[in-house]
Amino acid sequence: MTQIFKDSDTDLAHRAKWFTGRVAIYGALSLWAFIALFPIYWTLTTSFKKAPDVMKGAMVPWVDYRPDWLGWKSLGLSPATIGQESTVRAEFLGRFMNSLTISVSASVLAVILGSLAAYGLSRFSYKFLWMKNSDISFFFISQLILPPVVLALPFLVLYKELALLDSRIGLILLYTLTVLPIVIWIMRDQFAGIPTELEEAALVDGLSIWGAFLTIVLPIALPGMVAALILSLVLTWNEYFFAALLTSTHANTLPVMVASQTGSQGISWWSMAALSWAAILPLIVIGVILERYIIKGMAAGAVK
Amino acid sequence: MKPGLYEIAARQAMTRRRLMQGVAALGGAVAMNGMALRPAAAQDNLRAEILKIPGVGAGSPTDADWQKVGEMCLGPTKANVAEGEFAGIELTFMGLNNQNLHNVLFRGFLKPWEAYTGAKINWIDLAQADYNPRLQQAIATGTVDFDIIEMGAPFEGDTAGKGLLDPMPDWVKDQIESDDLVAYLQPPVGTWDGKTYRITIDGDCHTLSYRKDYFGDGAIGGAEMPKHWEDVNAMSMAVKGQTDPLTGLPAYGFLDPLKGWGGFGFYFLEDRASAYAKHPSSPAWLFEPDTMKPMVNNPAWVQAIQDVMDLNAAGAYPADQINADPGATGFQQFLAGTGAAITWWGDIGSNARTSDTSVVGDVVGFDINPGAKRVYNHAAGAWEETENFAPNLAYLGWGVYVTNRVSGDEAKRKAAWSAAAHLGGKDISLWMAAYPSGFQPYRNSHFNFDEWEGAGYDRAFVEDYLGSNRDSYNHPNAAIEPRIPGIFQYYSVAEDELAKGFAGQYGSAQETADAIAAAWEKITDQIGRDSQIALYKASLGM
Amino acid sequence: MNTGDLLHVVTNDNISPARAGFGRAILWGSVGLFLLVGLLQTLQAGGHLELGFTNWRPTLYSYALMSACLCWAQVLIRGEQGKRVLFVLPAVLFVLSLAIIPLIFGLIIAFSDWNLSSPLGRQFNGLDNVRQMWGDPFYWNALKNMVWYALAILAEYTIAFGLALLLNAEIRARKFFRVAFLLPLMLSPVAVSWMIGKSMTEIRFGPIARLARALGWDNPSFFGTPEMARATIMLMDAWTYIPFMMIMLLAGLQAIPKELQEAAKVDGAKGWRAFWEVTFPLMLPVSVTALLIRLIFKLKLADIIINVTSGGPGGATDSVTSFIFREYRDRSNVGYGTLLAIVYLVFIIIAMLGLLKLADRWLRPQT
Repeated sequence: MTQIFKDSDTDLAHRAKWFTGRVAIYGALSLWAFIALFPIYWTLTTSFKKAPDVMKGAMVPWVDYRPDWLGWKSLGLSPATIGQESTVRAEFLGRFMNSLTISVSASVLAVILGSLAAYGLSRFSYKFLWMKNSDISFFFISQLILPPVVLALPFLVLYKELALLDSRIGLILLYTLTVLPIVIWIMRDQFAGIPTELEEAALVDGLSIWGAFLTIVLPIALPGMVAALILSLVLTWNEYFFAALLTSTHANTLPVMVASQTGSQGISWWSMAALSWAAILPLIVIGVILERYIIKGMAAGAVK
Repeated sequence: MKPGLYEIAARQAMTRRRLMQGVAALGGAVAMNGMALRPAAAQDNLRAEILKIPGVGAGSPTDADWQKVGEMCLGPTKANVAEGEFAGIELTFMGLNNQNLHNVLFRGFLKPWEAYTGAKINWIDLAQADYNPRLQQAIATGTVDFDIIEMGAPFEGDTAGKGLLDPMPDWVKDQIESDDLVAYLQPPVGTWDGKTYRITIDGDCHTLSYRKDYFGDGAIGGAEMPKHWEDVNAMSMAVKGQTDPLTGLPAYGFLDPLKGWGGFGFYFLEDRASAYAKHPSSPAWLFEPDTMKPMVNNPAWVQAIQDVMDLNAAGAYPADQINADPGATGFQQFLAGTGAAITWWGDIGSNARTSDTSVVGDVVGFDINPGAKRVYNHAAGAWEETENFAPNLAYLGWGVYVTNRVSGDEAKRKAAWSAAAHLGGKDISLWMAAYPSGFQPYRNSHFNFDEWEGAGYDRAFVEDYLGSNRDSYNHPNAAIEPRIPGIFQYYSVAEDELAKGFAGQYGSAQETADAIAAAWEKITDQIGRDSQIALYKASLGM
Repeated sequence: MNTGDLLHVVTNDNISPARAGFGRAILWGSVGLFLLVGLLQTLQAGGHLELGFTNWRPTLYSYALMSACLCWAQVLIRGEQGKRVLFVLPAVLFVLSLAIIPLIFGLIIAFSDWNLSSPLGRQFNGLDNVRQMWGDPFYWNALKNMVWYALAILAEYTIAFGLALLLNAEIRARKFFRVAFLLPLMLSPVAVSWMIGKSMTEIRFGPIARLARALGWDNPSFFGTPEMARATIMLMDAWTYIPFMMIMLLAGLQAIPKELQEAAKVDGAKGWRAFWEVTFPLMLPVSVTALLIRLIFKLKLADIIINVTSGGPGGATDSVTSFIFREYRDRSNVGYGTLLAIVYLVFIIIAMLGLLKLADRWLRPQT
């Protein structure tokens, strides 16, 4: 068969342009993916290095160096030590559970309180004393600006008097306070993007405001709530300053343990890497599973 | 890796433990007799055996090793405490989690103690940077929530001075054999108003560690490691641009950690300054005892700052030294083969041979800190052209203290002191001095070189390493730091001003020193000048 | 400013006097209980009474009860209006009780001379702290640095926008790239400081240093000079937070109706022109939100600096928060440290109010 259709010159030029465009896009994507992922890869591989491997700056396991469970051994999480009783592992797991309980509880609480407030602010006009809606919004958001140092000593004293020091509930309350503004900010945009006709129709059908909110609005706003929840989780999971200040034995969380990997002996890169990695693993899992909700959730209210 | 050696040690530990359990089963009184009558040979045997866990060259010890050592060293506890005596008692222990050392070790050590006595210990682990603020906040807001605390002697002014500690019972003194402590850790250190509060678990001083392969015939650093700061600087300049004989990387001379470290970084400037500033005629070298006027801007200190600035200007430090954490300088640079010499606490020595990080184990040598060829007499206001050595006994070591929260409850008090005494025991301390623990030798019995040789250390290495510590402890002109409240505030603000000076933001070393002095005056006024003067004099024994 | 409710509801409240009465009863009853418990505990704290309270929990519980009754009473007394208030009231009460009380105490501390090591404790010193702040070069230097750090947001925004556009293009493996781009946001600042700030930039073995050497920079130094150190800190902070702006912008891009872009294409707008004339204006509102939230996070920048440089060399990388941390934690100078933080807070609030007003006015014509 002879070729009947010949690409014209303009077509070819178009093709070439399209092709270079593709190359540029994928090149840029790959470059940034590398920038974003390499440190995480570096952390993971470092946790399997021995001192000479670290000093050599070895990059690729099995090629540059022989992986060793050194970092995980120090946590009692390597194959050799997993069977033995380990005080370090017990400590790690205890803190892990505390971090989990505290960050999840605080985030859920913040999303509940924040969604309610954001809905109210997006639908009704209030007047508390001299404050109108925009003032109330700013009042909430200003909490986000508050430097933690201002609250440190007052909270220490307050919590001592209320017997909330070193308690999970104490940290949960405080963390809820710190992430509430960001939840309100996100959810306000969410609700603003949902047309009020939906609820009006429901109200005509005889539902109360709360009924309409719970059955009509919430399901639509769910992706936004998941997005807010994930952001809250990230912020509370990694919080260090108050965790170091207000906990001691029963409610202590992981970030303080990560920070403890340094000291007068320099730093053991392998155990630092292992601990860092174990600490970010839950967030990575969450990121992979729930990622699409974040975009979806933020999209709803993004463009008014 | 020497799995063979480790296995042997582990087996011996097992038989030993079974033996101990057998003894304990005979009942309290008999057991106590057994302990008291224990022949000296048995104890030597125990000391030799714990040193084999996990063995020199077998890598860093793990939790299983700590528990094993803790188990084997329970003897003195069993002599004073019946099995299960503290059942139901809960104690809170606050200390550092310093890179998986300190508290992490204590947890392993005390696990067998908990199993034997029935007490339970809750742990507060703090990163080193959080330690001082947490302690100060707890004291100031009345939120002291710990019964036992690991604490450095400099904080005794903040705690014992405010009546927050429980005085040590006499039986503890006997159990830990406190007579064995080296001279400078004997009272007044650890005491306040004549009462003893401290179970010492660490001795601290800075000593010089240097690379022997830099010095000798035809070596790049000259014939031998210089003994005076003036020559140390000359050496640093000389090796610049040469190649390190061990690693083949660029060679560097003396390593000064230049970055702040929550106050701890100031000790390294002190190492240089004490040689110029600590005149044998007076114990004071940081403040004038009668007025608390800072001496830090006198010509001696300015000379020390100038020395560092000279090296910095000449590019004699590795790149980014100005931002290298002091810990990184010691453990990532020196132990990893960068730099000819460093002044550091003694744990560089034990780590040189046992830590996973170290590559310099075979070529490291030790000495007391360099001296100076002249010394400044602050009282006379003039330099004296005499040679002066003044080892810096930086930080005075960690100790374990018991707080007054347990004072009212005799059972709890005994439990707290028993736990603390277990950590300060004579045998366990030998292990801590020999292996990576964050602690260094502090007892006369640690200087028995035969034990170290038996553990697999090279005799010459150990004599060199331990000798530098012993000579610093016993030096007649050793520089002792003041145990006054807020001492780390002074150090911390000095670090900030020094950083500005090293970054070239002040015109000269003198201006930098003046800025430190001004900041120190402010702190003294804020804390209260009269009380500081009184405490400073007391801490110097004046 | 909207004057009425967006959601118009016909209310037909028939609130019986009994119901309103019950509402008032539980409201005032719980207030009374709270005051009573509070009074009793105050008396005990003052040493006038011995009631066996070991802590202030009873007051806390009665406070919580009072708050709950206040919410319930709103509905009982005000019916439909109360139900509306009920949306916002819990959050307001929560923030008020948790932030305002400590904040007032914080203000008291700010005007005190309180060095934790001082045996004298806390003492009022009026405006001394303000005067000290006025003459504190470290603080003003840190404020100056903050301006630099804040300006870096513009570069971050450009990159984030570019990434969002890339992710919004017709590409394969979109899910993979989205997750990959998002991950840096998840990492804890402490881990970032150590694994990137210290390990990867390590002069001898760090991969970044080795890359720099391979690219011809013989003696790489990332923290040696003030400018370089500041730039490195900016880059690390940008690495963490670019994903945050990126997802907001990507969400915005995906919400743009496809018809609009199609229409633009029909009109002959292509490439850059389509972007500037159609996409970018539509993205303004979400951009402003993203920039403002990012600015707030940036103003709190501290963890990375504390861990990596401690503000060095010579304060070149100090952020206000990292400097306050040193004053506050390392030197236990809590009175002065708190004052600095509060002054900073005032600065930020004024700036944010201004920016919000500005953004409001700027965006108005478009919406």
